[in-house]
Amino acid sequence: MPPWELRKSSAATKRRASGRLRGEIVDYLLLGVVAGLAAVERKGFLQAMLSRPIALAPAVGLVLGDLAGGLAVAPPLELLWLGAVNLGAAVPVHEALGAAAVAGGAVLAGKALGTGVTPAVAALAFALCAPFALAGRKADRLVELQNERLAARAGLLLERGDFRAAVRENLYGLAMPFAISAVLAPLGAALAAAAVPALLRRLPGAEAPLAAGWFAFAAFAAASAARAIRAAGAPVAFFAALAAGMVAILLAPGGVP
Amino acid sequence: MRVPPRTLVRVFWRCLFLQAAWNRRGMQNLGFAYAIDPALRALYPEPERRKEALRRHLGFFNCHPYTAAAIVGGAIYHEERVASGEEPGRAPQAYKATLQGPLAAVGDGFFWTALRPFFGALAVLGTLLVGWPAIVTALVVYNAIHLALRIRLFREGYLLGDAIVGEVASLSLPSLAALLRVGAAALAGFSAAIGVSRGSVRSGGATAAVALVAAVLGYAALSRGARLLPAAYAAIALGAGAALAAARLGGP
Repeated sequence: MPPWELRKSSAATKRRASGRLRGEIVDYLLLGVVAGLAAVERKGFLQAMLSRPIALAPAVGLVLGDLAGGLAVAPPLELLWLGAVNLGAAVPVHEALGAAAVAGGAVLAGKALGTGVTPAVAALAFALCAPFALAGRKADRLVELQNERLAARAGLLLERGDFRAAVRENLYGLAMPFAISAVLAPLGAALAAAAVPALLRRLPGAEAPLAAGWFAFAAFAAASAARAIRAAGAPVAFFAALAAGMVAILLAPGGVP
Repeated sequence: MRVPPRTLVRVFWRCLFLQAAWNRRGMQNLGFAYAIDPALRALYPEPERRKEALRRHLGFFNCHPYTAAAIVGGAIYHEERVASGEEPGRAPQAYKATLQGPLAAVGDGFFWTALRPFFGALAVLGTLLVGWPAIVTALVVYNAIHLALRIRLFREGYLLGDAIVGEVASLSLPSLAALLRVGAAALAGFSAAIGVSRGSVRSGGATAAVALVAAVLGYAALSRGARLLPAAYAAIALGAGAALAAARLGGP
């Protein structure tokens, strides 16, 4: 190849690399926005189930260009965190932040590997990013302290006669949950996007055992959902449905759905 | 003295932000004041009276975000009577204090621990069977129920005042909730069956057997007080460890 061709092709490589970098930055920005909006929907506005893992993980997959990857991780995450509900003053784990980080991490790691979200990728992304759900709960306590200050300031503004500004303090409470998830979810996903491909490339033999680990996790997540429901008939209903489902699948002519 | 219908619509919209500034001291206090403020502005043209009204709604309040709509509606019912001098200024507060506990219990017991988990489990099973259209359908149906009830509670709270209690009781939500919970557990069981059988297709029958063991052991461990995330890691380790052991034994 003549030198000018070489120079041209290296320029093209650079352009491709910078395009890829730009694409990655856009991915992380989109993930941050979706995770932030989910955190707002979860507590401060609406509560229409849009921030539950079953809706959020596919949404993350969709904005990152891999809906199938989001759909692959959504079911076990929803079941695992089915009991994460906000009752009274109790602060549950931040299932939305956890789901956004896991789904984002799995999709981006699958992209980096070129395989999409395989069971092994999902298992590793979960293992790395699930603790963000706990970090989110810690952060929620800080949000509550901040909101106490907003309420106190609303009282002051009210005494000054500035009614409109006093009640508008309520809306400022949406900013901090948005910011926390918008920063932490991409951070978790970046961790998975860097570590998961490195691990699977170095240890190709880990793929099969990790896939088995993912299926064991999915079965465990379903059991934990039945446990979280806390109804007298829940265990019987769960195990009876599990047994009936296994029998039906074994006997079905079409095989596994 | 009546609040104009357009203002009621604005108040309902603002009810959706009830928990925007949830805090440990006043809980939904600021959210309640934010929601009801347009109605107070319509009822009290004099700044002093409006300030007094807003002050009472900045006091402690906590309820379920859906069922609280009934209390916001009912508080307007009472504020209209306070504004026209039929009731003393403490009537709206007394109303809120009486109803917030029982309506929170109804909301937590029906929406948060029955209806939403049921639709979550239903969406999971649907996703495994038909993919994303199941999620869209589940969200549309859930929110049709959620928004219809939220709007109805707000309307009836406003129209009926204290009689809203009988109205909520007539919905017989607790018995419906018990059914939904058992249904959710069964849906989770079917989802587990699909997950396990997919594991066997992809990684062999031993993987499916280990997954079943993970479900049974996991349930037992959680019943004995095991924490969720450590138990989830243990399930992954169990599945991966068993597969490694099997490969070692069956290998060359």
